[in-house]
Amino acid sequence: MTLDDLFAVIGGLGAGLLSGAIGIGGGLVFVPILTIGFRVAQTVAQGTSLAAIVPTALVGGITHLRQGNANVTAAWWLGGAGVVGAIGGALLAVHLESGVLARVFGAFYIGAALLLLQRALTTRESEPPAPSS
Amino acid sequence: MIPLLVLWAGLGQRQANATSLVAIIPIAIAAVPIYYFRAGAPQVDLRVALFLVIGSMVGAYIGARTLKSIPERQLRIGVAIVMVLVGIKQVALP
Repeated sequence: MTLDDLFAVIGGLGAGLLSGAIGIGGGLVFVPILTIGFRVAQTVAQGTSLAAIVPTALVGGITHLRQGNANVTAAWWLGGAGVVGAIGGALLAVHLESGVLARVFGAFYIGAALLLLQRALTTRESEPPAPSS
Repeated sequence: MIPLLVLWAGLGQRQANATSLVAIIPIAIAAVPIYYFRAGAPQVDLRVALFLVIGSMVGAYIGARTLKSIPERQLRIGVAIVMVLVGIKQVALP
């Protein structure tokens, strides 16, 4: 095991923590770790990230299901729609310049984040937890 | 997916984060073959992937177990900060 392997484990640990707690797949963290930290080419970083997301999401997702954190019905709908979207997105991405798509998503993230922030700041701390279904 | 669940479906932040990660499982499994077969030769650094996964599986387990003890409000602010950072990165360096 080299020093690089150790850094990969540490980077993976950080990405996994964020993935488990925030609910992201890990690609948002894996890709910059690979391109900036390991100087891996963008396409290889994306492929490697995608391969690493599957076991990460399996462990995190199953832990959430066992802890009763997730809304199973919503996960089914979202997962199903996401599969269709992923296929559509992959087909569409061939015809679009990748930079355009990335910028559109970036703008969407910022807008949605501001809405979330506004909601976080306007809700009271004593808000009861949402009923699980 | 997380903003969709919170702002549109009205889920709590904790439930939204957990639900999002569960929903990623089928999406990631479906995306892997599409990505590989369209791109020609699979572009994966298996060695780095292996060591990343060793860390990330432990991290995902700990992160998922910790979720219950993070207050809703702090969680929401944390999610928003991560999303703003990612958004800025996407817009500036797509």
